[in-house]
Order: sequence, then C-alpha cells, then structure tokens
Amino acid sequence: MSTETQTGTVDRGIVERLRASPFLSQLLSNRLAITGIVIIVGVVLIAVYARFTYDLNDLMATQFGTNPSESAPSAEYLFGTDGQARDIFPRVLYGAWYAVLYGTVTVVASTFLGVSLGIVAAYYGDLTDNVIMRTMDVLLSFPSLLLALALVTIFPEELGLWRAVGALTLVYTPRFARVVRGAALKVLEDEYTDATKALGATDPRLLIRHVLPNCLAPITVQSTLNYGLAIIDIAALSFLGFGASPGEPTWGMMLSNGVEFGLFSGAWWWSFFPGLLLALTVLGFNLLGDGMRDALDPRMRETVD
Amino acid sequence: MVSKRFVFKRLLMLFPVLFGVATVVFAILHLSPGDPAVVIAGERASQEFVNQVRSDLGLDDPLWQQYVRFLGEVATFDFGQSYQVNRGVPVSQILADRLPITIELALLGQFAGLLFGLPLGILSAVKQDTWTDHLTRIGALSGISVPIYWSGPLLILLFAQFLGLLPTSGRIGSEYFVEPVTGLILVDTLLAGNVAAFQSAVVHLLLPVVVLGIYQMALLSRMMRSSMVEVIRQDYMRTARAKGQGSKITVMKHGLRNAFIPVITVIGIQFGSLLGGAVLTETVFEINGIGTLLVDAINRSDYPVVQGTVLVFAVLYTLVNLGVDLTYSVLDPRIEQ
Repeated sequence: MSTETQTGTVDRGIVERLRASPFLSQLLSNRLAITGIVIIVGVVLIAVYARFTYDLNDLMATQFGTNPSESAPSAEYLFGTDGQARDIFPRVLYGAWYAVLYGTVTVVASTFLGVSLGIVAAYYGDLTDNVIMRTMDVLLSFPSLLLALALVTIFPEELGLWRAVGALTLVYTPRFARVVRGAALKVLEDEYTDATKALGATDPRLLIRHVLPNCLAPITVQSTLNYGLAIIDIAALSFLGFGASPGEPTWGMMLSNGVEFGLFSGAWWWSFFPGLLLALTVLGFNLLGDGMRDALDPRMRETVD
Repeated sequence: MVSKRFVFKRLLMLFPVLFGVATVVFAILHLSPGDPAVVIAGERASQEFVNQVRSDLGLDDPLWQQYVRFLGEVATFDFGQSYQVNRGVPVSQILADRLPITIELALLGQFAGLLFGLPLGILSAVKQDTWTDHLTRIGALSGISVPIYWSGPLLILLFAQFLGLLPTSGRIGSEYFVEPVTGLILVDTLLAGNVAAFQSAVVHLLLPVVVLGIYQMALLSRMMRSSMVEVIRQDYMRTARAKGQGSKITVMKHGLRNAFIPVITVIGIQFGSLLGGAVLTETVFEINGIGTLLVDAINRSDYPVVQGTVLVFAVLYTLVNLGVDLTYSVLDPRIEQ
C-alpha cells in the first residue's frame, strides 16, 4: 500500500487514525461490509421514522369501512391491505422499530451477561470456571430455537414480545461467554496483566480496564453476527405464536397472518413485504458481521498465491 | 481408526451432559407460571378436584423428591401421559409416532444442503475472488438471511396457488393410506410397493425439503469455502502442484479430505439450526412432526409432552454431535490427543 497518495487537506486526523487501525481500514475497504452498514442505517432510519410518524393503536385497529379489505398493492396502498383492512405499508415500516428495539435489547443483554460470565470464569478459574462453563455447555446442548421455545414459557404472558427477548437472551448468553472466556484467557497470559496486578490494581479494575478492552474485537463480531440472528429468531417466535399479541405490527406476526389467512386466498402481499424487509435487515447484519470477521482474521486478508 | 478408549471416553462424557439437560428441562417446567393440575382438571374444576389431581401427580411433594422422580422417569424414557394434545396417550408413544416424520424431513433437508452446498463452496474457493465466487458468496449470505417462514409461504404461493404444480401442505395425498412401518413416508410407501403413494409423498415433500435445504446449502457452502480457501494455501498443496499434479487433482486428492474436517464439525453444530428449521418448516407446511407437536403442547400447557419433546430434541442434538466427534477423529487421528 502506498502511503504518499492520501495526503489531501480533508481530514488528516481521521485518515491517519483509520490507517493506524488495520481493522477499520480493512472493514471500510470491504464493499460488502459497506453495503451491510448502508442497509442497517436505512432500517434504523425507517424504524425511527415509523415510530414517530404512526400511532401504534391506529396500526393495530381494524380499518373496515375506511380501507378495502384484502386489496392487492396499488398506488394508494403500496403493500396492499390485510384481512382486517389494515394498510400493510405503515405496518411493515413499524415492524422495523420492533425489530431494531427488541433485537438491540436481546443483543445488549446477552452480550452483557455472556461477557460478565466469560471474564469471571477466565479470571477466577477452577471451580468458578467449571460451574459457569459447564452450565453454558448444557445450555449449548439444546437446539437454540427449541430452547428458546421452552424458555418462553417461564415468562408471564403479559410480557408479550419481551418473553421472546428474555428467552433468546438466555439462549445466546453461552455463546458470548465462550468467546469471551477464550479471549480473556489469552489476555490474562500476557505480561501486562501481571504488571497491572503488581501495581496493585483491584480485580474489578483489572478486568474492566485492562482485560475487557482487549477482548472487544471478538465481542463486537459475535454481537453483530448475533444481531441478525436475534432479529430472525424473535420473528420466528412471533411467527410460532410466542411473543407479539395478534394485532401487533411485528414482521413475525404479519408473516404468521400471511400463512394462516393469506396463503389460500393467494394474498401474497401479506407475507411478501414484511418478509422482504426482515430478510434485508438480517442480510445487512450478516454482511457487516462477515466483513468484521474477515477484517479481524489476518489469514483471510491475504490473497492466494 | 478410532480407538475404543476414545469412544468410551466420549460416551462417558454424555452422562453429565444429559443429566444437565434433564435438569434444565425440569427447572424450566417448574419455573413456568402455569399449574399442571389446573390444566388437567380443567379451568372450571372445583378446588378439591384440582388438589386431588395435584396429589395424584405428586406435584405437592417436596421439589427434590419430584426432581429425583423426574430423573428416574427420564432414565427409563417414561415421560408420563399427555394431558391435552393426545389425552391419556403415553408421551413416549406420541414421540415414537412423530419423531420419524421430523427426522425424515431433517435428513432430506441436510442431504439437499450437502448435495448443492459442498460443490458450490468448493467452486467458490477454487475460483476465489472471481465473479463466480462473489455470486456464490452473496447467494449463500442471502440464503442464510432468508427466514424459512418467508421462503416457505412464497414458494407455496408460487408453486401451489398460482402454478398449481405442487400441493400446499402435508406429506402425502389424503387419498393414500400407508401402514407405518419405519415412520419414514418415503420408505413406507416403497415397502408397501405403492408407487402412486410414493410419488405423492415425493411431490408433497419437495417444497419443505427445498425450503429447509436452501438454508443448509447456504450455510455449508460458506463453511466449505472458507475451509477450502485455507487449505489451498497450505504448503502441501503447493508441493503437490510443484510435483506436477494438475491443480484439479490436487484439490480433489489433498484438499478435500483436509477441508472436510471443519465442515463436518459445522454440520454437527448446525444440526441444532436444522432441527429449529424443521420446526418452522413443519408449521408452514402443516406436517405433524415433533416440531408442531412441541408448539401445540406449549400452547396447550401439555407439560409432559413439552418435557419429552424438548428432551428428545436435546438428546438427538447431543448424539449427532457425538457422532460428528467420532467421525472427526477418523478423519484426523490427531484429535484424540
């Protein structure tokens, strides 16, 4: 790589910093990862727009009399209307808000839990490590969606879609714990850990200020890849009837309606549009996650001789 | 070859895992807010009757006694009787009837995924950074991003509703009755020598298998590609080429065996997502496997069925991974150490 060419007057600070971080520059030179970022930003914008433009009660209420029922997409109803005469277009947009909100909470919660458990297991070792990691192993020996299905039942029904969030948080936690434990063990072997300890750092300080920052890369990749999964799994639980209440404009619920009522009348638009946005969102996170992983793994960077 | 000691050691490691799995299932059901006694007695039953049912089931025993009893039941594959879904029928019987349906679907989906996923992955790796590679990778990434409960309905709409080529649901035409021997519909129809029924089953299973297979295909081609890309860079590959072997032969002879090792692990790990996919596929196509059974049982608070089904899923997953571990050590004997 030539270093002389990019010395424009724009913002040397940022350019310099990007170059200093091989991870970021690698990521930003990956066209697929950029596509992923664009998709994600688009979906978040849609989500925020829908949240502050539409009234949720209006979207959930039946619209007989106002709109035609089961009408195919037209200029007036871009995505058509459903069996309750509801306009599907704003509902699909609002679904983005649900996906982003509930997906984020799931990922943040499982990352937090998993990272805490993983770091603690790595640092204290012995019995603590064994108890934590064997429990994680057991949770990992269930197929994830099925464990989530079973776990949904321990939350009271009033929690609605939050039940899915709770269940999936528990399902994803072991993955983070494993990744972080591995990364933390490597960091703990390094000499600076000993140095920090010798300087009198307390356990929490050592773990939060020194070990955690050095595990951030694998955590970020795992979170991003899990984001897409969380969104698809929340929708799956919704689709199977565990989570959203019937009128709620979540993508999973709309797809469930599409299968239950729209399939045999040939109303393809009930399923098509919510599913399209769902798939696109998940694709966005997978593209970004993939790009991040490639950028992190130096072996993937070289090209074949 | 795998040493007996290694197999024995791996088998022994099954017990703590299964014990943990059973404990988690027990815990989940006891944390659930619903009351099994009320479910059995019915919403309108008198309090006395509910209490009667509760003590009959031993639900007022101390928790540890229930736990010990539960472990004993699990060890003998006795999950009790269904409260709701098939009232009075032993859960083990229901599972025995419906498990083969799910297994058949999952195996066909896995097979379809392997059949198309592996060659695509190899092609993508060999032609790294060409258009073929880019297209395959984007296709694979899209494949894992498309939910089954979207691709399924869309294919039903296209092939069943609009084109009228394929049936919409079920796994065989309602006009056929085939004596269940193995429970696998394709095998049973053949055993019965009923060609028309076999054809009906094939036509019915086509879409569910395609839907389930797309995801597996996408997943496997990604894994195969990244594994193969790594192997191609190895020194022994260059040596083989330097010795004058054509690059195709090198790839086939030296590359594949080594590239398969991580892919096989992935097949094991992803068996869980295959089972999850089977649940969704069964729901979309109205196939009565243990996936729809589980959903049904949870909806109707049929606790013994939920217990049995979740346990069977976990055991299946664990056993497949054991099988994968053993295969793995055949392919790469260093693993044993």
